[in-house]
Amino acid sequence: MRDDLKVGVFLCECGGNIADTVDLNKVREELDVEFIGQFENLCSLNGCKIIRDAIFDIGLDRVVVAACSPISHEKTFQDYIKPLNPYLMDMANIREQCSWVHSDKEKATDKAIALINASIEKVKQSDAVDPIYCQTPTETAVIGGGIAGMNAALSLAKQGTKVTLIEQSPSIGGHMAKIGKVFSPVKIAEECGMCLLNPILNELVWNENIDVLTNTKVIEAKRRAGTYNLILEKSPRYVDTEKCIACGKCAEVCEVEVPNDWNDNLSMHKAIYRPFGQSYPESYVIDMDNCIKCGNCVKECSMRAINLREKEERIPLQVGSVIVATGHKLYDMEKRPEYGYTLFRDVITQSELGRIIGVNGPTKGKLLRSNGKVPKRVVMIQCVGSRDEKPDGHKYCSKICCTVALKNANIIKHKHPDTDVLICYTDVRTPGMFEKYYKHIQENGVRFLRGRPGEVVKKGGNLIVRTEDTLKGEFIEIEADLVVLSTAMEPSEGTKEIAEILNLGTTEDGFIKESHPKIKPVATDVQGIYVCGTAHEPKDITDSIMQATAAASKVSEYNHGGVEIEPFIAQIDTDKCAVCGECINRCKYKSMSIQNDEIYIDPMSCTGCGKCLVGCSQHAITVNGNIDEKIFATMKGILSKKKDGERVILVFLDNIGYAAADNIGVNRLSYPESIHIIKVISVNRVRPRHIRYALENGADGVFIGEFPGDLMYDEVELKIQGVKDRLEELGEDPNRLTFSKVYIPYFSGLARKFNEFDAKIAKLDETE
Amino acid sequence: MKDLPTEDILLFRSCLVSVEYPGVEASTKFVFDTLGVDYAISEKQTCCTGLGHYSDVFNQIDTSAIGARNFKIAKEMGRPNLVMMCATCYAINKKSVKLLNKKDRLRNHINKLFEENGLAHLKYEKNDLKPTENIFHVVDILYAKKDVIKKHIKYDLSDFTIATHHGCHYCKVHYEDTIGGVRNPNIMDELIEECGCKTIGWYDHKRATCGTGFRQRYSNPDLSFTATADKMNAIEDEDVDILVHLCPNCHIQFDRYQDLISKREGRNFKAIHLNIAQFIALAMGGDFDKVIGVKAHTVPIDSVIKELKEVKK
Repeated sequence: MRDDLKVGVFLCECGGNIADTVDLNKVREELDVEFIGQFENLCSLNGCKIIRDAIFDIGLDRVVVAACSPISHEKTFQDYIKPLNPYLMDMANIREQCSWVHSDKEKATDKAIALINASIEKVKQSDAVDPIYCQTPTETAVIGGGIAGMNAALSLAKQGTKVTLIEQSPSIGGHMAKIGKVFSPVKIAEECGMCLLNPILNELVWNENIDVLTNTKVIEAKRRAGTYNLILEKSPRYVDTEKCIACGKCAEVCEVEVPNDWNDNLSMHKAIYRPFGQSYPESYVIDMDNCIKCGNCVKECSMRAINLREKEERIPLQVGSVIVATGHKLYDMEKRPEYGYTLFRDVITQSELGRIIGVNGPTKGKLLRSNGKVPKRVVMIQCVGSRDEKPDGHKYCSKICCTVALKNANIIKHKHPDTDVLICYTDVRTPGMFEKYYKHIQENGVRFLRGRPGEVVKKGGNLIVRTEDTLKGEFIEIEADLVVLSTAMEPSEGTKEIAEILNLGTTEDGFIKESHPKIKPVATDVQGIYVCGTAHEPKDITDSIMQATAAASKVSEYNHGGVEIEPFIAQIDTDKCAVCGECINRCKYKSMSIQNDEIYIDPMSCTGCGKCLVGCSQHAITVNGNIDEKIFATMKGILSKKKDGERVILVFLDNIGYAAADNIGVNRLSYPESIHIIKVISVNRVRPRHIRYALENGADGVFIGEFPGDLMYDEVELKIQGVKDRLEELGEDPNRLTFSKVYIPYFSGLARKFNEFDAKIAKLDETE
Repeated sequence: MKDLPTEDILLFRSCLVSVEYPGVEASTKFVFDTLGVDYAISEKQTCCTGLGHYSDVFNQIDTSAIGARNFKIAKEMGRPNLVMMCATCYAINKKSVKLLNKKDRLRNHINKLFEENGLAHLKYEKNDLKPTENIFHVVDILYAKKDVIKKHIKYDLSDFTIATHHGCHYCKVHYEDTIGGVRNPNIMDELIEECGCKTIGWYDHKRATCGTGFRQRYSNPDLSFTATADKMNAIEDEDVDILVHLCPNCHIQFDRYQDLISKREGRNFKAIHLNIAQFIALAMGGDFDKVIGVKAHTVPIDSVIKELKEVKK
């Protein structure tokens, strides 16, 4: 009998993350199980020993681990319960969905008891099943052709993986191509950035495993059976890269001048141009927004490479994994009008200064202000848009600006020892070896003032920086010829777009969120998608390259190790099956096909949604894992702990919704204690009779969330409407059931929906 | 941007406007009438406590209680949209609504006080009003009617050099509700543009305080008037004729003390000071005495505006 099974519960204190909010002593008192263990860090090897010893000593049949989210540590604990089958363990998420979202200790403790009890009831319904291993295609897409994307692509290609590198602009190279000099803290010397980038670029271009697509972006992505089907849009270049020999004669005859964005618009190029000297593909490109179609270039081109009528192209691409390296952009200076960037020509950004002092820049490396003279007084303002709590500011530190300012200050000092350079800083952040570089620059005569300037104004031809010297406690006005702003790094538009397209979790600042900041720094919330470089958060070139190669290594792991799939998928009893094909028609995920006169179910694409079950006239299909019973048991476990006057709302979410709900906790937002989240493999598995059971047995409300990108979304929505109608007929209030869209990036929206639904149910309870 | 009402408005009277520049109220009514804004005034409404609050005479509990009483008056009149002529009333009332909605203990305490004093009818229920949806400044309402201002303009003031001074309590307290920019406030510049004029836009110290600082003007006059002088010098550098305000506190600081600061700085400041409602009313043909109320001004309006030029139709 399932009720006679010996269940052991293991409580994790999570170093106070759980135990500070949930009273674990009270939890222990309330549970009726064979064995209860507790440890400060269950996921540690000591935790493993506690669990394993109990399994052997007591002879446990089933295990419940009450700790963090299964997304964090399910695999760990499945391993720790050996020799038990991994699916005889269930995790009660009392951290992300309890201690991190609730602050009232008593209520949080009650909720933890209900969640653990749900897991106890559920795990009794579990049977031993074996995981399924699958192989995904090894082809990989790297999105973004900056230093991170280039390194990721190259690393994979050298390991034999076919890579498509997708870059939105006409050339790969990214920000590193334009920053001029870079520096290594140990060498205490600046060196040419392009000279470091070029060998990487060449190696990449010559590698046969890499296909570079420029002027191209991902506009659509679908995942099926471990394969990502990407749709790329390649904008016309109007110049055939195969024919163009980059002789530049076309540009000579072009009469249209356009601001050169590679030079931060400090110089002009023609409407037909090469982005920069070492750009790849080695070919010109036409800026069609500004081209007047005079045809001069077409006539001049002896290679007949120019085609003004070229059209955009859609390219389908199938890959098994994706690396996102879509990078950053710099803070919009319109948001800080007080610094006069839009008013005064001699207020520039560090990026622009980098172009000005770069030998391939608009002034060929000469430091000149707008009047053509060398500035005698340069003031740099740090933390522009970073560490800024005012409207439109970013609370985070952009990490690289201190060292960038030091570098540029030193280059100025080196070329023009008479020019005074003053850096107005909040704190100088130069960890590790960078501190030596900071000292070196102080010794070179660069001056420092602690204070965040309030504004930059112009008086009598002079720029004036107004600031408080916070060390002296004095207000001062500093005259300057050139003011340089160290602007914040923020996620690029491409980063924001790709997060939407791939449904990736993002931070509140819009960067792509890693699946765990400590132990999974390159994986995203979505299996098979990895992130690197500044799309992830502000970082320097070194860190970007390290993360890029880490991401490549993760893809290799994935390619070689295959993917472990939860075995809760459909199975065919071939003795009963009449091969009528009805299930093939019903399956939204196209996971079924006929092979060798039998129905074959692709384990990678079957979600276990159960739609095929209902249509099979032969009752030949089953879905592993006792799912119906588990849902009943979980609900029973929660509702049996309901107290008088307590409000209980059951929330059914699949993997995507569950990740979004976890993100609410990770970001320390809150929602009412009434919300009890139940993870299901597909929300379609929540049947009308489950919902009725819930409402008849004490649940005050039922909330079902589904990601609109799921192929079953429309169907589930329709089904829920049907259940609502039925509830009304039965005299129940259909408003107690709700269906809602859920997205991983919009966890705050989900928290809001929980709050609103709880308030609505509270009102219904009051009126009844 | 927030939804802006043009009806069911309680025009919230301001102590400083009534006492110092009654023309601001007359001008607001004149412009609202011209633009077809539905508003009323209540005799029952009291002071928001602003000056007293910032001088530590009224604590936050008293201030919120008085706010709750005024909100109830507005609701009972069926005019839940409170529109302030003074930036301080605006900031104070918005804060009170936020606190009354959010802080259960404060709300319960105030409601208990009402009950104990036979004022149970004044009790405030959570979310009776919403800070963003019910509390406005006159400039917000004018902004909602921005597109129709133009057709009512009678006089062309575009020959004057015009600058704006946006009050701190409109721009720097409830950022999320400020229209037209916080770091570079422009709502009045946009409204003035609708009158066919162009302001000088950005100028040195545009974002700075007027210097009033409530009690600072009296207890710390040096500091207070140094801030005012910075701004007056910047305005004079730009040769400004008219400085346009949205807060009577700032208006007083500049208009009443201009002469004193002129002497202090040894420089003859010439700008006149008009509230945005006065400015628009003037451009719409409001009477100098009955609408604009020029006699209440210290810097004579006619020292700059000597004659009015009709708009060429």
